Amino acid sequence: MTHEADLAELLASVATGDRGAMKAVYARQSTRLFGIAMAILRDRSAAADALQEAFLKVWQRAGQFDPARGSAAAWLGQIVRNAALDAARARGREVLTDDPALGDGAIGATALDDLASAQDGARLRECLARLDAQPRQGILLAFVHGLSHPEVAERLGTPLGTVKSWIRRGLLTLRECLS
Amino acid sequence: MSGGLPRDPEARDLLAGEYVLGTLDARQAAAVESAMATDPILAEAVATWVRRLAPLTRLAPPEAPPPDLWDRIAARLPGASPAALPPTRLSWLWRGWAIGASLAAVVFAAIAFLPRAEQPAYVTVLVSDRAAPAWIAQADREGGIILAAVRPAFGEPQPITPEGRVMQLWALRPGDPGPTSLALLPRTPGRIRIPAPALRPVNNMLIEISLEPEGGSPTGRPTGPILFYGRLIEAPPN
Repeated sequence: MTHEADLAELLASVATGDRGAMKAVYARQSTRLFGIAMAILRDRSAAADALQEAFLKVWQRAGQFDPARGSAAAWLGQIVRNAALDAARARGREVLTDDPALGDGAIGATALDDLASAQDGARLRECLARLDAQPRQGILLAFVHGLSHPEVAERLGTPLGTVKSWIRRGLLTLRECLS
Repeated sequence: MSGGLPRDPEARDLLAGEYVLGTLDARQAAAVESAMATDPILAEAVATWVRRLAPLTRLAPPEAPPPDLWDRIAARLPGASPAALPPTRLSWLWRGWAIGASLAAVVFAAIAFLPRAEQPAYVTVLVSDRAAPAWIAQADREGGIILAAVRPAFGEPQPITPEGRVMQLWALRPGDPGPTSLALLPRTPGRIRIPAPALRPVNNMLIEISLEPEGGSPTGRPTGPILFYGRLIEAPPN
């Protein structure tokens, strides 16, 4: 809790142009955030470029962070995901969907247990458990590994239209379950 | 104002969810972003979806970024002094070189003391993030790697591993997507030889040491801070 409060305070200082606060945010969060970018891009050089873009956005937009709307960690995570997704889109998401390393972490048997270690994660885990295995995998592959609809379809061996409706219905189920 | 986006509130909320999930294409994602600027309801919907799905980021294994990344970011912040801030990701290599003659002396002295038959193929000095030399790394002609702690007279005090942690040695060849683990280092460093490392040394290979939980990184990638790093270069001829 105090960790999150500290992070929110640091972002407030970053918004005033405090470079020391910026460096402190980087020191605390860069390993977690680089992992998020790596899961999407699977290339250290591309992930480093994405993290750099993301931190420049953090510098510009720290004043827009509103603690009432969500946690600082989630806000940072989303900026990094967007930068990594932009990079993935720019390179045509040429991800090898048959890469054996892809998704084993995110859709493996223990993945959901990993989620449950925190309170917010435990609730999301329960809600994900309400989905069928394949729609759940589709959502995890999209969120964690940045796979597009066609890539999820290829990965799961399922027609594109089916995947699109799985994901939409899955999101609706999650929204209802988490409300 | 909402060019191309659905008007129905339910459909817009779902679109916000797909935007956060990441499945929209570049054009749709850009349309959502520009609409958010003028549509507080859509912006709120996106923020809510971020809050809902954020715990999933925990499924991505943490991994330490390249050691020079902060310098690259700092160099691009407004007000950065250009002289102090290296512009490229290879900058630390040059900073490594710029440590000066004493460091070069360490390397050449180390090589000079080796029997001629053991003259290494590649060498580097692993430096801390304060550019202090800490280890000499050599690759011998059979592909083995030797790591020797730099004596305190030349650098910082001997690297000490905190209780319950271990130092892990990694190598990254140019073009490889991620580093490969070579070894866990013993707690009391002196001179260590890795006879047949998982990666055969090549010119320009990055060698780095990260601090990891006991037993080594659980993910197969560095998760803790990078303590020391250097890039192998061909050994100068005798």
